[in-house]
Amino acid sequence: MVRAAMSKEGRRPDPESDSDHRAFTNAAWSIPGYLLSGMAVYGGLGWLLDRWLGTSALLPIGVLVGLALALYLVYHRYGR
Amino acid sequence: MIARQLLAAEGGNEFQAPGTEIFDWGPLWDGAPSWLTKPTLIVALSVIIVCGFFWAAFSKPKLVPRGVQNIGEVGYLFVRDQVARPMIGKDGDKWMPFLLSTFFFILVMNLMGVIPVLQLPAPSHIAFAIVPAAVVYVLMVFLSIKHQGLGGWFKNMMFPPGLPAWLYIILAPIELLSTVILRPFTHAVRLFANMFAGHLLIAFFASVGYWFLIEKLTPLGSGLGVLGFVMSVVMTGFEIFVQALQAFIFTLLAASYIGGALHPDH
Repeated sequence: MVRAAMSKEGRRPDPESDSDHRAFTNAAWSIPGYLLSGMAVYGGLGWLLDRWLGTSALLPIGVLVGLALALYLVYHRYGR
Repeated sequence: MIARQLLAAEGGNEFQAPGTEIFDWGPLWDGAPSWLTKPTLIVALSVIIVCGFFWAAFSKPKLVPRGVQNIGEVGYLFVRDQVARPMIGKDGDKWMPFLLSTFFFILVMNLMGVIPVLQLPAPSHIAFAIVPAAVVYVLMVFLSIKHQGLGGWFKNMMFPPGLPAWLYIILAPIELLSTVILRPFTHAVRLFANMFAGHLLIAFFASVGYWFLIEKLTPLGSGLGVLGFVMSVVMTGFEIFVQALQAFIFTLLAASYIGGALHPDH
């Protein structure tokens, strides 16, 4: 990220690019939270549906879907 | 501690690895108030050490720093340039009193794990990790509502711009859970689990060394005992590194949460 900012503007990073550094650190530390959260929300939903419908496949499906959604969210927030 | 533990297990002839009981400390002496335990003593001692250190460093500051003031200034500059300014930005200096005391308080509490006789990192009891994390969490909620408004906070948190509307319904619960509920949890557990595991590892290797070299010395077991002693020294060095790193990360995340509350657009 810092390198991209440097090549774009052709100069060394100044205090302004601190926000790049911050974005990077924030991303690095919020990814586990997002992944956990995605698995918990949609895994939990799958678990509830499993109990309601008497099935057993929706919990693992929900966990995977939640994981995928969380990865997408991380990509959208920090990846571009 | 370990000796006592092994004496308790003396009935058996087999080595017993230390378990969670090495974290259980009753009142300091018979008849002491039930809250006055080794962990609370260590926390109180940490407060006194941190206050005393900064009092010694900055009560009579000189233009050309010497001795304790020098160390204090290095610590201050480290937290300011590595934590406050990168994470919060130009107004980061305003948060230095909070961040500096958080960093040093947690650092000293952690380092108590390798101080002889004391040898217990206070945050290996999860309560002493929860309280600082809860302080940061309340501060984050307060600042977010103050600077973004209650509606604005949830809007910035749950609806990052540039997504199709139907995706928001799917993604907003993930954002909400991760920021409002999981964040203080991971913040506290990261510190607690590192201190807990580190203390257990050192205790394990030290008791291996004690058992096979002193308690039950046999030609076959002595190699294992030597390995245990060597590893407990190595792990102690590694723990000093982890203890400093975790204090840094805890402060870094606190600053990151404060910065996110103040400038949600970044």
